Amino acid sequence: MDESEEIHKQVIGFQAEIANVQTAIADFECGHNLNIAIIGEPYSGKTSLINEIERMNPDKVSRISLSSIILDRNEIQIAEESKRVFLMDDCNFLYMRRIGGFEYLEEFLKSAISNGKIFITSWNLYSWNYLDEVINVGRYFPVQIKLPKFTTDQIKECILSNYKEKEIRFEEDVEFEKEKVIEPKKYAFLIKPLEKTINIPYFTINYSLLKIRLLKRKERVEIEDIIFEKIHHVSNGNPGVAKIIWQKSLEYPVIKPSKIKDESFNIDLDYNESFVLNIILSMKSIKNDELSEIMGPDYQVDRIIYRLSKQGLVGSKEGFYFIKPEALKSIVEFQKKLRLVW
Amino acid sequence: MADTTLQLPVIDTGTIISALLVIFIAYLFIRLVTFILIFISERAGQYRITVKMVLPLLKFTIYGYTFYYILANILKWESSQLILFGGLLGAGIGFGLKDLFADVIGGIVITFEKPYQVGDKIKMGDYYGEVVDIGIRATKLVTPDDNLVSAPNYLIFAQAVASANAGVPEMMVVIDVFIDSDSDVAQAMKILKESVMTSKYVYVSRKRPFTVLLKDFPYYRRLRAKAYVNDLRYEFEFESEVTRRAWSEFSKYGIEASHLNIFEGEGQGKKSV
Repeated sequence: MDESEEIHKQVIGFQAEIANVQTAIADFECGHNLNIAIIGEPYSGKTSLINEIERMNPDKVSRISLSSIILDRNEIQIAEESKRVFLMDDCNFLYMRRIGGFEYLEEFLKSAISNGKIFITSWNLYSWNYLDEVINVGRYFPVQIKLPKFTTDQIKECILSNYKEKEIRFEEDVEFEKEKVIEPKKYAFLIKPLEKTINIPYFTINYSLLKIRLLKRKERVEIEDIIFEKIHHVSNGNPGVAKIIWQKSLEYPVIKPSKIKDESFNIDLDYNESFVLNIILSMKSIKNDELSEIMGPDYQVDRIIYRLSKQGLVGSKEGFYFIKPEALKSIVEFQKKLRLVW
Repeated sequence: MADTTLQLPVIDTGTIISALLVIFIAYLFIRLVTFILIFISERAGQYRITVKMVLPLLKFTIYGYTFYYILANILKWESSQLILFGGLLGAGIGFGLKDLFADVIGGIVITFEKPYQVGDKIKMGDYYGEVVDIGIRATKLVTPDDNLVSAPNYLIFAQAVASANAGVPEMMVVIDVFIDSDSDVAQAMKILKESVMTSKYVYVSRKRPFTVLLKDFPYYRRLRAKAYVNDLRYEFEFESEVTRRAWSEFSKYGIEASHLNIFEGEGQGKKSV
């Protein structure tokens, strides 16, 4: 398998987005300069798309990939001799949500409209939504490509493209058949005046399982389709999350539906903890000292991070904190309730 | 010749007990429904006020049906007896129940016209706070000092009521800071603007923009930020956080608070303290 084929596999499902970008590059050569913003959730495949654009236009593009918050303006200096199509990945690292934290972003936006080049940029969805409301960043990027959620078939194609035909064995298992569509649960309710806890019974409905069972009744459904339907539900159509769930569930070369866990997170955080989670969600990855700078001296970031890690929401690697992919769906729902993401 | 004498309804002890029992059941049912709806709404995040909105309507419907049920099925009054009851009620209202009646009518008007809803922050008379209940007789508010104020519903006819958020969770907060006339005002405005837009409590959208305004006064300048807090319950935290962070940044740029100016007498100018 050659390298170009390998890269191409990473962008299955983004054909329309790639076509849009290629059209914009072609228009630019005809004199229409329309900067592009590629916007997506964490793990949605923004970097893969930027990689593919670079691969398809090797003689035309220059590129800067940001990997952490910018601390020095030289990191985003656009050289005069750089090519006319300019790629910048992870533009969410251009700002910090604090007073005085927008300086580099403003400089970059200024150069994006005055430089005579076409800028193809990628942005974290939640950073973009925030910046678009507070500084109207959308004005600088007339072409905005929001990465779509994948369908079950797209996820299947994307994952299976990494394997040979019949390399993976999809197996039914008894445990999956035992899974219940309606699950009885108990809610521990505290009666404050009596200081007593009573368990109130309630039911939860497993919608993905219900959908699968209904499908099975209507027609003969392959176990392969059941597995990908479940992955699609758990990942909420996010291709990066789907791949991670696949890898966690696969016992090579066998995969069984019961191994795909639909983890539900009962997020219990106070407002400051939720805000720190919001910053991590919006930035993709962030260091402890950067979080401290955003939160100010009155907050103990270490303690907050401990709470977030304890609930399985945040992971850390080489000093950077990031959102755990399996918790992404629950975190976004939680943040929407608090109106921390718009 | 037909007998036209109005028969006074006879109410025995059993009927009274039955009626009281129905009222008690209705009351318990309302308490239960209120508890469940508040429990759900407090977990519904941005839909908190929407869920609570149905509470007053539900209460009036249950009480209205209870009243009808007692008249029609327990007392089993005929139309002539109802007329007599209406007359007695009218006399009662005239003598002393008029305030109570005005409260009930006020409650119905509040339920259908919705000048405010459960969950809104309102100013009614001298009181300001979050509406926690719209009852048959009174509206209950919790003030910022955590006092529970019971305002009679008839006030809706007597005075203006200001609702700060009108049924949505976000509300505008006005934050004033006063700086010395000699301070760098452009820098101060930039800092205040960034303090607002980076606040953890802020809510910004096309319909809910924020702004920072400047006004000159003889010996000081007022910077006024107008922005929306994402949940009205954080109104004061938002104001405090923006002010604290702005002043912390002002100090780095030598932006000072307005000084107290004392006139020492004609021709001697002023002294700043």
